[in-house]
Order: sequence, then C-alpha cells, then structure tokens
Amino acid sequence: MSMENEAQLKAPAAAPAGLPLWSMFLRSFFIQAGWNYERYQSLGFAFTLEPALKRIYPDPEKFKAAMLRHLQIFNTQPYLASFVVGNVARIEERAAAGEADLKNLPGMKQALASSFASIGDRIFWGRLKPMTVQVCLLIWSAGGFFGWLFTGTQETVSAPLLLGGPLAGIVFYSAFAVYWRWKGLAAGYACGGASNCALDTFNWPRLIKALSAAGFMMSVAIALLALGLLIGFNCAACAPRDLLLKLGLPLAVLVLHRVSRAFGRSVFFAAGSVLAISLLLFSVLKLEPFKLYL
Amino acid sequence: MTAVLRAVLSSAFAGLLGLDAVQAGQFLFSRPAFVGPMLGWLNGCPMEGARLGILLELLYIDFIPVGGVVPPNGTAAAAVGVLAYSAGGLAPSLSFFIGMAAGVAYSPLEYRQRAVRSAWNARIELQILAGKSELKRWLAGSLLAENAIMGAYVLAWAALCRGLALLPGLGVLYPGTDFAYSLMPWLGLSGLYFRFRTQVYKK
Repeated sequence: MSMENEAQLKAPAAAPAGLPLWSMFLRSFFIQAGWNYERYQSLGFAFTLEPALKRIYPDPEKFKAAMLRHLQIFNTQPYLASFVVGNVARIEERAAAGEADLKNLPGMKQALASSFASIGDRIFWGRLKPMTVQVCLLIWSAGGFFGWLFTGTQETVSAPLLLGGPLAGIVFYSAFAVYWRWKGLAAGYACGGASNCALDTFNWPRLIKALSAAGFMMSVAIALLALGLLIGFNCAACAPRDLLLKLGLPLAVLVLHRVSRAFGRSVFFAAGSVLAISLLLFSVLKLEPFKLYL
Repeated sequence: MTAVLRAVLSSAFAGLLGLDAVQAGQFLFSRPAFVGPMLGWLNGCPMEGARLGILLELLYIDFIPVGGVVPPNGTAAAAVGVLAYSAGGLAPSLSFFIGMAAGVAYSPLEYRQRAVRSAWNARIELQILAGKSELKRWLAGSLLAENAIMGAYVLAWAALCRGLALLPGLGVLYPGTDFAYSLMPWLGLSGLYFRFRTQVYKK
C-alpha cells in the first residue's frame, strides 16, 4: 500500500467539502433501481451522482451534458460502486475547475467498475452472503432451535429467537455493506481521479482469503453439529442397521449434490431428483415411509 | 383478520421486501431466511415459516446475481411457501417444493421487467435534454411496478395452492414429499460446504 494512497483512504469524510456526500450516500442505496439490459445500473448511477453534478454545474446546459455523460452503460457490484461514484464526482469537480479534462473519464470509469465488480462479487455475494445463513443457524442452535434440521417435528421457541437469527445475519452483513458504501464514497473522492483508485489501498485478496477460511470453518462446524444431532437422536433407539441407513442417507444426498455440480447442474436438480425418487418409493410404490429422526 | 385479508397483506409485504433484493437497499431483508419467519409470524405459524425460510435459503444461496444474471427469486419462494402452508392449507413438505418452484418461475418475470425498462433510457435522455430531470419519478415507478408484480404473483400462487388443497387424494403425495423434505437440510448443508470448500481449495 503506498503512503499516498493510505493517506487518501484515511482522509476524513469531511475532505470532500462542498459536495453533498450524505445525499449521495443515501441515494447509493438505490444504485440498482431501474436496472435494465441496455445500460445496466446507469439510471441508479446518474441518480446517485445527481446531487454532486447539480452542485458542480450551476449552469443548466453543463449540468445536462454531465447527466447525459453518466447515463451511459455502467455496471458494477452495488456496494463498491461508491468508490467509482466518489472518484467520478471528484473528476467532474476538477474538470469544472479547469484542472482536468474528461477525455479519459469513460474508460477509467469502466475499468474501475469492472475491477470493483470482481472484488465485490467475491466478498459480498460469494462469501458474506452465505455467512449470514451460517450466523443465523449458529444463533438458532445456540438458542436451542434445531427445527431447521428436524423437519416435521413440533417445537416451540420464542419469536425473538426465530427473528433474531436472520436479523443477526442481516446486521453482520449490513455492517460491511454500509461501511463500504460510505467509506467508498469518501475514499473515491479522495483519490482525485486516480485510475487505480482504492484498488491498491486495501488488501482485498487477504480479506477474501480470510472470509473464505472463516466461512469454511463455520460450514464444517454446522455440518458436524447437524451430524452429531442426527446420531444423538437416533443412537439410543435405533438398531445398528437403521442407524447406518439414517447416516447413509445424508451422505447419499451430499454425493448426489456433488455429482450434480460436477455435471453443471444446479442444486434444484438434486432437490428435484430427491423429490422424484421419494415420490416413486413412498407415494407410487407405497413403501413404508420412515423418518430420518426419531 | 380473515385468511384472505392476511394473504393479501402478506403478499403486499412480500412485494415490499422483494425490492430489497435488487432495486433498493440490498440489506438482505429479501432473503428467504428473513421472509419465512416474518411472514410465518404474520400468519400465525412462525416455526413453520422459519423452517421453510431457512431451508429455501440454504438451497437459494447457491445462486449468485453476478453480471446481470437473474437468479431464482428467494423472496417469492419463501412467501409462496409460507402462504401455501398457512393460507393454502397444504402440508409443509409440499409447500416447500411449491415455494421452490415459484421462486424459479419468477425469474422470467423479472427478466421481462428489466427488458422493458431498457426502453426508458432514450425517454429519460430526451427529458434531460428538454431541461427536465425526473429520474426520481422513473425510479419510483420502477420500484412500484416491481412491488405490485411481486405482490400479485405471490397472491396468485396462494390462491392456486388453496385450490390445490381442495383436490381429492392429494394426501397420497405426502409420504413422498415428507421424506424428500426431511433430506433438504442435508442438501442445503452440502451446498454451504461445497461453496466454501471450493473457495478455500482454489489455487
């Protein structure tokens, strides 16, 4: 991380004096509104940038031209889009003051959008989003609600626990999302039009790796917990052969899912296969059904 | 509150939560893990709502909305699943699979909305050239349209499930759907495991 860039990232949010950062921040939550196949997030991008452009270009003709410039194709990861918005606002500001020209703006905007899309998709969609489910499951398990695993059983737990699980996941996720939306805006502005804006000011690969490791560990912990409960609920009353069958079924499902993925099929293919086989065995052939849990 | 009114309100609420998926916020209030218990609570079945929601979430987490891809809709899946059980009167296992299918079937509708909005760009440009900047209105229209479409979609499925529940002999399906449903947590957990395993071992 270069000293200059580090200083830029640490620059206080007050640095972009004059620009309505707060308004842009609130509008950034709608950056995907009006998403369409012709120009992707262009409407949301222009909407987010609009307060800054109004401030930068009091002349209506120049404002019009600026709005049209930013209604062109734009697509990136919505949370990290703030880096591009902040940076573009600064470039427009400098151009209006005659300190920069707008010749390289479209290319730079596109390059930054692609880079942040790749980083953001890995962090938010690929890691943090599945982790919200893990947080929810762990909170429910800690609170004694195993109903997510024992389908068909009658349990009663409090509404705060039921809603608390997913809400904890949402808070965990949103803490990252809101932080980067705000930080990105300030840091993007502080970049002052640099084409490597914020790409080398933060160790993104390290963050991605750390999230992968944390997510994997939580996955293993949840799988072991589920397996422990399966054995615990069956071992006391089950003959060894039955227990083996009940342990073998989840394993068979895992193998089926693995094979589906290997053939490029989605999880719905595996779910549909399980449903079709179950209907055939227990609804058509009328074999005596049994429960996975006693 | 009558069951019909509850179903209407739940559908409208699902439409509101659905906006969080793409168009507004992205706080994950639209995920099945939240929609399930929330609608379950509104409809007097929080436990089953939570169970349906989290199981659908575990399957839907497999899909990532990268590069403008329209993934199956988790909000529609959870809302239809819960209403199929609470308003439709179907067994939880069948409600789950119906919800799963409803989420997949919503994708073409979302695709169509995105395609329709493409025509807006030229009109918005003309407005700006004429000195009018009404982006806010266009975006509000986009949010309202999606809200209404999702709400109507969920309500239509709830009505369909109510009709399905009246079919004679439906119970014959339940031994099969119940058994398949009991295996869904394992399918979901395997998805969660594979997602992170692939990332950790990627070179």
